[in-house]
Amino acid sequence: MPEVSLKNITMRFGKVVAVDEVDLTIHDGEYVTILGPSGCGKTTLIRVIAGILEPTQGEVHIAGKSMKGVPIEERDLGYVFQNIALFPHMTVKMNAAYGPTVKDRPMEEREQTARKYLEMVKLLDKMSMFPSELCGGEQQKASLARALATGAKLLLLDEPLSALDARVRVDLRYELRRITKNLGLTVVHVTHDQEEAMSVSDRIVVMRAGGIVESGTPEQLYTRPRDVFTANFVGETNLLEGWVKERHEGGSWIELRDNSVIMVESCDPQVGEAVVVSVRPEFVFPFTDGLLSRIEYLTYLGTFSRVSARSQSDDLVEFDVPSIEGKLYHPGQEVHLMFNRKAAVVYPRPIEGVSEAVKLE
Amino acid sequence: MPVVKLQGIVKQYGNIKASDGVDLEVRNGEYLCLLGPTGAGKTTILRIISGLTKPDHGSVLFDGKPMDKVEPEDRRAVMLSQTYALFPQLTVAENILFGPDIRQYEEEVKERTLADMLDLVRLTHRPDAFPSELSGGMMQRTALARALASGASVLLLDEPLRALDARLRISLRHEVRSLAKSMGITTIHVTHDQDEALVMADRIAVIREGKVVQVGLPGEVFDNPATPFVANFVGQSNFFVGEVEEKKESTSIRGDSGQVVLARPCEQRLGEKVVVGVKVGNTEVHKEGEGYFDGTVERILFEGRNIYLDVDVPGLGRYSSKIPSWRLGRLSVGDRVKINWSADKATVFTMPPEGLEKELRVE
Repeated sequence: MPEVSLKNITMRFGKVVAVDEVDLTIHDGEYVTILGPSGCGKTTLIRVIAGILEPTQGEVHIAGKSMKGVPIEERDLGYVFQNIALFPHMTVKMNAAYGPTVKDRPMEEREQTARKYLEMVKLLDKMSMFPSELCGGEQQKASLARALATGAKLLLLDEPLSALDARVRVDLRYELRRITKNLGLTVVHVTHDQEEAMSVSDRIVVMRAGGIVESGTPEQLYTRPRDVFTANFVGETNLLEGWVKERHEGGSWIELRDNSVIMVESCDPQVGEAVVVSVRPEFVFPFTDGLLSRIEYLTYLGTFSRVSARSQSDDLVEFDVPSIEGKLYHPGQEVHLMFNRKAAVVYPRPIEGVSEAVKLE
Repeated sequence: MPVVKLQGIVKQYGNIKASDGVDLEVRNGEYLCLLGPTGAGKTTILRIISGLTKPDHGSVLFDGKPMDKVEPEDRRAVMLSQTYALFPQLTVAENILFGPDIRQYEEEVKERTLADMLDLVRLTHRPDAFPSELSGGMMQRTALARALASGASVLLLDEPLRALDARLRISLRHEVRSLAKSMGITTIHVTHDQDEALVMADRIAVIREGKVVQVGLPGEVFDNPATPFVANFVGQSNFFVGEVEEKKESTSIRGDSGQVVLARPCEQRLGEKVVVGVKVGNTEVHKEGEGYFDGTVERILFEGRNIYLDVDVPGLGRYSSKIPSWRLGRLSVGDRVKINWSADKATVFTMPPEGLEKELRVE
C-alpha cells in the first residue's frame, strides 16, 4: 500500500534552493497537509512526489519502491491541480472515465467507474454537461472524480480549493475529507490556508524557506506548537516579549518589558533567558487585575468581537468577547488583562527578533 | 469625498443580467463591502462606477451629479484589480508617480506625494525595487499607493486581497481599511469572503444574481439576515422548515414530522409555511438538558479556535454547530445529543417560492 517516503530531498532551480534536505514519511491511509506561505517550497515538494520534477538530490519511495526514473503516469497516483484541468471538449462523464479509458478497460467498466465516483462527489445529475457549463466548485468536484476513477490509492492535491470562493471552499473541504477517508486513500494536500489544513488533515507539515518547521496533528499545532512561527501561522496569536523571572514546577513567572509579570504553567527556557510567550486571543480575559492595556480598535467577527489593545509592556494583545458585550469596549479605554496560564506557550526569544521569526512573506 | 449613488442600474450581457436594477448609496468616506458569490455582478458594479462600463439603464451620481457624460479619467474613481496590474518595467516610485506624472503635477508636489505614499504603505526602504522583486503583500501595497497617489476620491477595490496567502490576507485586512479610512476616501471593496467583509466594512451590501439583497452594518447582516441566502452566506446557518403554530413573545414553528422549535417574533401569518434559520455558532449541542430534537454526533472537526460538529437528526438531516475548542474531549462521535438554540437567535423567513435548496446555492 502507498506509504510515501521522502529521503533527503533537495530541489534546486539554478541558485535557488526550493526544497532543502527534506525527510518525510506519509503513512498508508494518512491525510497529510503540507502548509506554508508562498515560496516555502510546498508546491515543488508535491511535484517531486508526483514525478513532475526530478529532485536534484534524494529519493522518493512510494509503497517501498524507489521512484527514481519512474514517470508520473507509472506512479499510480491521482493528481488534482489548483487550476482546474478538465478536458473542455469532453462531458463530465467522459472526463471521469478518462483513467479507465487510457487503461483500455472494457466499455461497461468505464461507465460504471465514472458513475461510481460522480455519485460520490454528487455530480451524477450533471454528468452529460461540459466543464464550461459547471460552476467552479462543481468543476473541481469533477476533477476529483477523475483523479479517484484512476483507482489510485495515493491522491495528490495541489491547492485544490484556492481558486474557489470562500464559502464554496468551506463546503468542499469537508467533502474532500469525507470521500478520501471513506475510500481509505493516502492523501498529500498542499495549501497556504491554515483553516483548510486544520479541518481536513490527520497531520499537518508546516514548511518555511524550503524546510520543514514541524509536523503534528491539527490540535497539537494549534495548542502546543513547538515553533513560534507555527504558533502565529496556524491561527492567530498574541506574542509577548520578556524574560524568565522564576521557574517552578507547574507555574513560572515571566517578566514583561514594563516589569509586570504573568504566570505560565509550563516553561522550558531557564531563569534569565529572553523569551516570547504565545497566548491565543480566546485565552485572554479582561479582569479587575492584570496587564494594563489600552484598547486601540475593535473588530466584529459575527458571533464574537475581537478587541485589539496595546499593553503597557508595549505588546499588541488581542482578546475575544461575545458580540453582545462588544458595546462595553471602545478605543482609548483601559483594561486589565489576564492570561490562561495553561494555554500559554513559552519560546526562547528568536535571535533574529520576533517579527522576523514570524514573518509571513 | 463624494457620496456615490447608483439608481436603477441595469446591465445585460446576452441573456445574463449582470446588474438587475441596482440601487445603492455609499456615504462620504464610507468603507462599503460589496459581498457576493462569483458571478453575482460585483465587478460589473465597480466598472460602472468607474465609467469603464456603461450601464444599459440607470445612472451613477457623485454628490448628486450624474456621471453619465463624465469620462472615466475625470471621475477620480480609481479601480484596483486583484492582480494589481503594476507596470513591471517601472520601479515602485515610478509606479506610484504614474498618475501624478500624467496629470503633470509640479515636481515639488510629486516629491511630497511620493514621500507621503511610501510612508503610508511602509515602503520607504524600497522605492527603487521593481515589482518582480517584491513580495505579494508589497505589490499589493504599491498598487494601493499608486491608486491613492493619483488623487482618487473614490477607491474601487476588486478583491484586493485575493492573490495573497490566507494568513497574510487576515493580517492585512486592518491595514487596508485604515489606509482608506485615514484618507477619508469613499471606498467600495468587492469580495466573496464573508469574514473579510465582516471585519473590514462600515456597511455590507450583499449582492446575488445582479440584485442587492441586503445592505446593513456587519452586525445587522449577520444577526438579522434579510433572506435565507444571506443567513447562510454570511456565516453558515442551519435551517428548519415548518408552519407558524403560535405567535407570542417568540414564534413557535411546527415541522412536518411534529417537532416544534422557537424563533424570534415574525410578521408571517399563523399556518404560513416558513423557514427558520440559525447560525451554526448559535446552535447549541448538549448531552443533557433541553433540546428541540435528538441526534447523533456524526463528525467532529478541530478547526483551531472552534470545533465544528455535525449531528445527524433522524428525519431532519444534518445540523452543524461551532463550539469553542475547550469542549473537545467532552463530546465524541456516536454520542447522543440534543440540539437547541435560544429563540432570539433564530430568524423566520417566508418559504422561498423556488424552494430552499435553490435559495441557498452559493454558486
